[in-house]
Amino acid sequence: MLLNLKKYSFLLQQLISRDFKVKYKRSVLGVLWSLLNPILMMCVMAIVFTNVFKFSTPGVNYLAYLLTGLTYFNYFSESTNLAMSSVVGNFSLINKIYIPKYIFPLSKCLFVGINFLLTLIPLYAVIILTGTGLNVYHLLLPISFVFLFLFTLGMGMILATISVFLRDMFYIYGIVLQILTYMTPIMYDITMLDPRLQFVLKLNPLYHIITFARTIILYHQMPSATSFLACTVSSLVSLLIGLIVFKKNQDKFIYYV
Amino acid sequence: MDSMIRVNDVSMKFNLGIEKNFSLKLFFINFFKNINKKKEKPKDFWALRNISFDVKKGEVIGFVGGNGAGKSTLLKVVSGVMKPTEGTIEIGGNICPMIELGAGFDMDLTARENIYLNGSILGYSKAFIDEKFDEIVEFSELQEFLDVPIRNFSSGMTARLAFSIATIVDPEILIVDEILSVGDIAFQQKSENKMKSMIGGGTTVLYVSHSIQSVKAICTRVIWIDHGKMVMDGKPDEVVKAYLKASNLE
Repeated sequence: MLLNLKKYSFLLQQLISRDFKVKYKRSVLGVLWSLLNPILMMCVMAIVFTNVFKFSTPGVNYLAYLLTGLTYFNYFSESTNLAMSSVVGNFSLINKIYIPKYIFPLSKCLFVGINFLLTLIPLYAVIILTGTGLNVYHLLLPISFVFLFLFTLGMGMILATISVFLRDMFYIYGIVLQILTYMTPIMYDITMLDPRLQFVLKLNPLYHIITFARTIILYHQMPSATSFLACTVSSLVSLLIGLIVFKKNQDKFIYYV
Repeated sequence: MDSMIRVNDVSMKFNLGIEKNFSLKLFFINFFKNINKKKEKPKDFWALRNISFDVKKGEVIGFVGGNGAGKSTLLKVVSGVMKPTEGTIEIGGNICPMIELGAGFDMDLTARENIYLNGSILGYSKAFIDEKFDEIVEFSELQEFLDVPIRNFSSGMTARLAFSIATIVDPEILIVDEILSVGDIAFQQKSENKMKSMIGGGTTVLYVSHSIQSVKAICTRVIWIDHGKMVMDGKPDEVVKAYLKASNLE
């Protein structure tokens, strides 16, 4: 797989730039939406959760807390959604021309990745404006991007495979994602919860990846060795399972799409 | 020079019942049905059965046979789109599969952007497209519309663009599935000439067509396929004659 990645890198680049052009071509604000969208979402959620539910995160700024979680979670939900439909959606190509099929979920995860990097601009704006401040550990933050990307890519490949054989997956995953939104501590702090429930939520790899980022951004600390380990293991396991599942089934795709 | 394409005992099985298990609902229905009825045998359909042939460099091979005989499936197997259920395929050069023109065109992108997108899908490198860009545009005669999104193109214009991109390569193996003429009369003439020069240029060609005349005119060897099996393989005149006789057309 990796060998012909080089050969197909131009195709990958073309697919990503196509997605980018198509996404923004017909909107007036264009790329600005990538920056505005997370800010607007953060405002809505902040108003609801601080005023209606009286959530707070002691010691750290709630807006920065919320936006960190949102930025990471949005990357995951958007990438997996697009990756899931990427194989089925490109059926006309797969049926006519030989293209390595992993290109499709990979290009979606990279495309949303570019968006993710753009959303770091509003995130850092909020970090600075809320007085959260920067620290030297921010240099470690890109590692969390890698964790997030690998974990998401693995899940995306699994979902793309399942959705070829079972179209209901598109509906099922919509609900799963909804559940995951609440199961991931985006708008609340996990310490607010019952210890047993905390244990369950900690099985969610996204929790560890987001916590890794929050430890740096909000608590100005170096993420612990356990945090590193949890992130590394979950992202690599997800990627490995994704690759195996996808590779084992890709030759059968053509009969089902 | 030995063979460019070697097809060894290739068989291709389709499961016709496959469409049934598309949704969860049907999956459960079938699941409970199966409990009651015991196992129903899935309907297997062999699109290709024990096909073997060698293609030498420079040969132009025509495939004849009725609808659903397995010609297009065979081309898809050779071009790598499908993996054969049994048997192997060895390829000794780069393939240009002209099975579908304009695959992956994006209606929202301009002609210029689509040349790069479609080119990359066909496996061209960026340097190659940069180099051939003017040639593609010139052949398609769409100079004035380069920066127009192709959603505003007529179908003929889109087909011209697609044809121009697909035929810009000098492939070692060319696979053609009945797409000789596109566009208006002037362009049809032009595209047919282009195809003839590509085929005549010493390339190895696999050619599927229902036009007996063009098969006779172009091919150096003809293979007749019927119901997934190879019926005859030999000189164009002989095979075409036998094929027409069997089809009660002579």
